[in-house]
Amino acid sequence: MNSNKISIIGAGQAAIYAAMEIRKLDDESSITLYGDENYLPYERPPLSKDFLINKKKEDEILFFNKQFFEDKKISFVNKKITKVDFKNNILTSYNDDFLYDKLLITTGSTNRKLEVNSQIDNDIYYLRNLDEAVKIKDKALKVNKIAIIGGGFIGLEIASSLNQLNKEVSVIEISNQIMGRIIPAPIANLVKAEHEKYGNKIYVDSKINNIQKTDEGFKIILENENIIEAEIIIAGIGSMPSISLFNNTDLKLDNGILTDEYCQTSIENVFAAGDVTNFYHPFFNTRLRLESYQHAQNHGINAGKNIAGIKTEYISIPWMWSDQFNLNLQLTGHCDEYDEVIIRGNTLENGIIHFFIKNNKILGACGLGLIGKVGRDIRIASKLIEKNIVVDKKILLDQNTKLNKLMKN
Amino acid sequence: MTDNWIEVANADSIEMEDLIRFDHGDKTFCIYRIEDGYYATDGMCTHEAVHLEDGLVMDDEIECPMHQGIFNIKTGEAVSPPACEDIKTYPIKVENDLVYINIS
Repeated sequence: MNSNKISIIGAGQAAIYAAMEIRKLDDESSITLYGDENYLPYERPPLSKDFLINKKKEDEILFFNKQFFEDKKISFVNKKITKVDFKNNILTSYNDDFLYDKLLITTGSTNRKLEVNSQIDNDIYYLRNLDEAVKIKDKALKVNKIAIIGGGFIGLEIASSLNQLNKEVSVIEISNQIMGRIIPAPIANLVKAEHEKYGNKIYVDSKINNIQKTDEGFKIILENENIIEAEIIIAGIGSMPSISLFNNTDLKLDNGILTDEYCQTSIENVFAAGDVTNFYHPFFNTRLRLESYQHAQNHGINAGKNIAGIKTEYISIPWMWSDQFNLNLQLTGHCDEYDEVIIRGNTLENGIIHFFIKNNKILGACGLGLIGKVGRDIRIASKLIEKNIVVDKKILLDQNTKLNKLMKN
Repeated sequence: MTDNWIEVANADSIEMEDLIRFDHGDKTFCIYRIEDGYYATDGMCTHEAVHLEDGLVMDDEIECPMHQGIFNIKTGEAVSPPACEDIKTYPIKVENDLVYINIS
């Protein structure tokens, strides 16, 4: 095998799993991760949950310690890449240049910023990285009333965590249900009820008219004239692929970096994986851009294989989860068009799952239950989707019959 | 050695390609029944504190219900991330239709 200089821009989940996969298949090439955060690669899911409520510390969310990187001969360079010269294979970080033979881009995504008025825009907190989580944690300790703008997964997870720190939390969502239209309304309502049970206030159908500074903090004025007071504001209103580095280059972009089913970009020897890609999914025969833990991991592994010369299609069925209070929500598949919904179970204790069906096959599924209660069935749903199996709806409906049976058909 | 065998359950109380949870003292285990016989591992996933009792048994693997890490039931090997630390396994025997675990 030829020895290559393999460089990875970004040091998140896709990057670390790509690096490990490359090393598994290729012991000769050098592997270097360039990350602009001053930490070894770490897991992001705990930032809004266990890290915020002090159940996990910084060193407990690292994927691997320093020794692991040394053992695997994977270098981590804490530098921000400021320019990429795709013609001459050069990465630039301010005054330093680095050559590469093969490049993997895993720059992830960037939070959308709220634009209300110049007086307050810079006072709003966001959560994507460890530094921001530390800031929120430190600030939250000193205040009581917190407003979260955006009732998506990240906002609700932060709301759940801050509630556990005994804060008064208000969540403001512009649409008529939390977590977006992909989550079935009955499940969204159960999650809303769980927040309200613990004292969080959830405002749906709530567009912000203005935000004013007050002596105590902020006054958020909604279009329906409700007023919400808060000492700090955290916004979680979606994200965009982090592609600014590649504007005005030859790299093809369209809602992310365009890649094929092999993580290959429009430029030879340049690959991309994770949140930043708008990738072709051969199973669904469409392009997808996903922001999830499982996707970042598996797409990274897939990129690693292809970089190491093992040509492998990426056909992973999308899956994600969210933990709020004692509830675990899981979502799998790609639920654009379905002709029927089958609901399995009716208690959170045993889990409730909505299966989205088309032509007697599962397109996707969304489950909610106490921690651990929907994972198995959602996982089987993923496998049934992947294998394109016609399902017996009676078994789907009957929580007393294990779904494993559907795999045998 | 023989004194350390602890009775778990009736052999036929565990369905094929399935598992049960078994608690003993302050420890918790998973007892599996697969085509090749009965096996036992620690109960908790090595990645995060979640019990594998609600996980999915497929062939000779157990998949965690939380983050889909996968372990080999026979060897305890972590075969799919995010799990990277192997899970401990324990000897199992079946006598007179009863399953026993040795946790010494």
